[in-house]
Amino acid sequence: MSDTNGSTRQPGTEDLDLACASPEEEEALLEADPNYMKQRAAVQQHLERVQQKRSDLPPEVRVGVYICRCGGNISDVVDVEHVAEVVGLIPGVVTAKVNTFCCSDPGQQTITSDILEQNLDRVVVASCSPSLHEQTFRGAVSRANLNPYLYEQVNIREQGSWAHKHDHEGATQLAIQMISAAVGKLRYSTPLDQIKLPNHRKALVIGGGIGGMKAAVDMAGRGILVMLVEKSDRLGGRLNERGRVYPSEKMASDFVHELVQKVNSHKNIEVLLNSNVTSVSGFIGNFRTVITGPFGPAGATATTDQLVGAIVMATGYRPYVPRDGEFLYRQDPCVLTTPEFIQFSQSIDAHARDMVYHGRTIRSIAFLHCVGSRQLDGVHEPQPDGTLNTYCSRVCCSTILQQALAVRERFPKVRVYDFHRDIRTYGRGEEDYYINASKAGVVFFRFNGEDPIKVERSTRPNGKKSAPLTVTVKDALTWGEELEVPVDMVVLGVGMMPSHIEDLVESIKLSTGEDHFLQEVHPKLRPVEVAVNGVLLAGTAQGPMNIQETLNAAGAAAVKAASMFAKDVVELNPFVAVVDASRCTGEAICVTQCDYEGALKMVEVEVDGRKMQRAEVNAGLCSGCGACVPVCPTHALDVDGWRLDQYNAMVDGLVSEPPSAQCAVPELVHLG
Amino acid sequence: MTPTTEQSNAYRPDALVVGGGIAGMQSALDLADQGLKVMLVERGPSIGGHMIALAKVFPTLDCASCITAPKMSASSHHDNIKILVNTEVQGIQTLNGVHHVKLLKKATYVNFDKCIGCRLCEYACDAEYPDPLEEGLGAKRAIGVAFTNAIPQKAVLDPELCATCGTCARVCPTDAIEFDQQAETVIVQTDAVVVASGFALNSLNVKPQYNAARSKNIISALTMERLLAPHGPYGRVLRPSDGKIPSSVAFVQCAGSRDASIGVSYCSRVCCMYAIKQAMLLSGALPIADITIYYMDIRAFGKGYEQFYQNAKAMGVNFVRGKVARIDPVDDGDLSLHVETTEDPENFLQEHRHDLVVLAQGMLPDWDMSGTTPVQRSSDGFVATPMLTSPTLTTAQGIFVAGVAAGPKDIVDTIAEAGAAAMQVSQYLYQKRSANVSESQTAVLVG
Repeated sequence: MSDTNGSTRQPGTEDLDLACASPEEEEALLEADPNYMKQRAAVQQHLERVQQKRSDLPPEVRVGVYICRCGGNISDVVDVEHVAEVVGLIPGVVTAKVNTFCCSDPGQQTITSDILEQNLDRVVVASCSPSLHEQTFRGAVSRANLNPYLYEQVNIREQGSWAHKHDHEGATQLAIQMISAAVGKLRYSTPLDQIKLPNHRKALVIGGGIGGMKAAVDMAGRGILVMLVEKSDRLGGRLNERGRVYPSEKMASDFVHELVQKVNSHKNIEVLLNSNVTSVSGFIGNFRTVITGPFGPAGATATTDQLVGAIVMATGYRPYVPRDGEFLYRQDPCVLTTPEFIQFSQSIDAHARDMVYHGRTIRSIAFLHCVGSRQLDGVHEPQPDGTLNTYCSRVCCSTILQQALAVRERFPKVRVYDFHRDIRTYGRGEEDYYINASKAGVVFFRFNGEDPIKVERSTRPNGKKSAPLTVTVKDALTWGEELEVPVDMVVLGVGMMPSHIEDLVESIKLSTGEDHFLQEVHPKLRPVEVAVNGVLLAGTAQGPMNIQETLNAAGAAAVKAASMFAKDVVELNPFVAVVDASRCTGEAICVTQCDYEGALKMVEVEVDGRKMQRAEVNAGLCSGCGACVPVCPTHALDVDGWRLDQYNAMVDGLVSEPPSAQCAVPELVHLG
Repeated sequence: MTPTTEQSNAYRPDALVVGGGIAGMQSALDLADQGLKVMLVERGPSIGGHMIALAKVFPTLDCASCITAPKMSASSHHDNIKILVNTEVQGIQTLNGVHHVKLLKKATYVNFDKCIGCRLCEYACDAEYPDPLEEGLGAKRAIGVAFTNAIPQKAVLDPELCATCGTCARVCPTDAIEFDQQAETVIVQTDAVVVASGFALNSLNVKPQYNAARSKNIISALTMERLLAPHGPYGRVLRPSDGKIPSSVAFVQCAGSRDASIGVSYCSRVCCMYAIKQAMLLSGALPIADITIYYMDIRAFGKGYEQFYQNAKAMGVNFVRGKVARIDPVDDGDLSLHVETTEDPENFLQEHRHDLVVLAQGMLPDWDMSGTTPVQRSSDGFVATPMLTSPTLTTAQGIFVAGVAAGPKDIVDTIAEAGAAAMQVSQYLYQKRSANVSESQTAVLVG
């Protein structure tokens, strides 16, 4: 694990030999090869580069490398002990250790005490994806008073042991090379400071359903200013269309009313109805948003610009709308979706003895589960964009059973049939609906996803008692018997789909999952955060949830905003473009290449008494993408933390022969 | 018996969190990040909760430690969090809006100020017992650090197991062993309490017709987690009775839930998914083994869960819809399952032989606080949460609930609820203090 002098790389030593040819030798060489002069020029250029690189060589580094077994996730495939042995020989590596869980407290303690005891000035952890634990280890390194940007995380799990499960040797080799690249990069790393920017203690909540209202009330109750934007003319969202809700059996309007009261009475909340967020730019703590709504004179459409520190996405869901003719939807008036049925059932007169719909007296109802959810490839017809709703919509089972039970209780003469794949009454108090529906005489049929049910018009003579619709099912409860159930009404238990927020997704640069719902960073580590810092998820914009889960998600989003606003400034990673003013000649090519509005601009400066144009970076807006770097003709731009010399060192690390105890020879640099 | 100290001028946290599992840690972190002072109270010798014993977690198949260990570490390094382990909450009394929480600091027989976590005592101790953390498959010593990644890294002596030989005291380099240590009762005052006391499982023997008492090869799902964990007791999957590599594993779902005959009629919400996850991990660990899940309904309701279920089906995990009526131990330690299925009209009463059976036990609340605290329970035994739009409020003002203490929940839903509870607490404190002092002073007080 010691630094062996013999293996210290001397870049370009063999080129020096070539360049030191005597004049006689040169002449001979020229005679032998007419291209010699060209080659010589190339050698000369290369040498200059090498010399330059040498003069830039950083002082000796003392690197600690920690290789994580990840409890076997890595070490079952990668020979971590061998990796430690090999990378311990890389010049500058002072110690290389293996740990079962580097991220655990004892694992972190090892790193911090090594930094202090062995004077380490650079640290590499080879473990999982940086998106999981880069912050964890930067924190550990900081605790030992080392600059957190002198830390590199190497992903030998997702990119190593998991991707190359069956190639142990290959994965081991890969780990060595990736670590060697990171050590190379660290040689050129310099301490960096986080970028600190003002934090505007105000949140924008998009969506005025219960998720949005709850997040708004929670944040306002903590002293945070909130702007709540709702596209329709009233608050409450989808719950405005509901009656009694499970499991409390309270009216949906009670929930809405309670939250609307709190929203309207809170001095910290400003509500904008009939309004849309039409543009979002900026970054955490400093989002510039444009809201369009009836703010003009006499309610004319106008826009308002708002500067906010956080954005809460509470854009909710839309119910799945069956295709025309799917289960006879829109072809028979008595085929309804659950929201339509709930509206109908609420409209029935309290004293009515019969259920009458479109002139038809309803004596039997079929409830169909999983309409637009749990779709299978080759069985169900995809959406217009070719995707299937493969997910479970979570709330339909309990909603259907609640409705089925209510029908049996209110109209005992109406026969109720339930067609399901699985009954998913998972939540607290929900199983009771299943038990009680059974007791109340709801008849259950069960089908496999591969054998979907059919709804057809009855072919039997249109007698007085015959029902107009027939549901055909291959019923698993009677061991696969094909049954035909005549009914007067069919209720389609439709699932949830994300609202149409494509413009916002584009504008804020949000990512969506395969299910098209907004995608969190990690379901357990950062469940309500997205890849864009400062944007939070509250409710069904993220995926199907019931009321209670939505309220909890909204609270979880609010608490992240509250933590963020607990500081006066926002701290960002310093990986942004930097301009070397001494090299910039003001050609502005970089500005034309920059994709992030306002991140790079030309400013007038005075150089030797003359007014000149020079590039300037806005650290808050710069994404650190690096598009400006290669286009600069004078190499005046670089990205901090990812500088070109660091890339070069990483490439060298990747392609170099790994050091070994037997053969610690310097690597040769070949000239094309 | 034990002296009670009224710690009136001692450490006074803004909020006290009961339970150091994932819900408690997340609530504590979300409160502390807002600048509030938190006391995190854990009954066991380390924070971390049930998650530290799990192998991997659904639906991402991340290792459980990779989620828990960093949260444990973050809790222990947070300036605003004070952790008390080996401490039980015995009761809560609320006077003028202030909660007086009675804590029993159990005797550990180790002076934590002196203990450096070197584990020399543990290595020297001769008294070995089945380790509950390994579900009895591994051994632990009468004194020692709870587990490798425990927080704090302090040894604890179990007087029930100790042979009183005194070896530990002789080898301890810092003279930390104190055989005469006494339990202590202290009262901590705080403005808010978060109940995150988690769950216990009902007994493997809750259904006598499953005969779990008669076979070592009828195991709990937590035992299967340990068998699957790379750092588990055997480092591989072996069945407990004879160390045989199982070739046919059965998962019996709803073996302690959705069953009025045992008093648990609710769904425990996580068993379907962990069975599917364990089946997937097993098919990786034992590629030639047959794996069968006997179920009533597969409840794969969360984000990405249904897709996870369909993947397991595609991987060849055998899903049989049917209720297991009886399990009989047969020769060679194998087990015979009598099942009523819905698959074959000619032969729906089936008998299947497996060499290892995992029972999905039901989730029960782990702490009955009725009587000792103002918190009320629902008929299901879990904390009652009657407020319409604030699911983390209990019946007692200033006392909040998070995670499985308020009903079965998976890790994802628990973490969200823990955040929501922390938000509710901070609002409560903010409003409570705003009422007392002027706005400008409030900003200083909170955050």
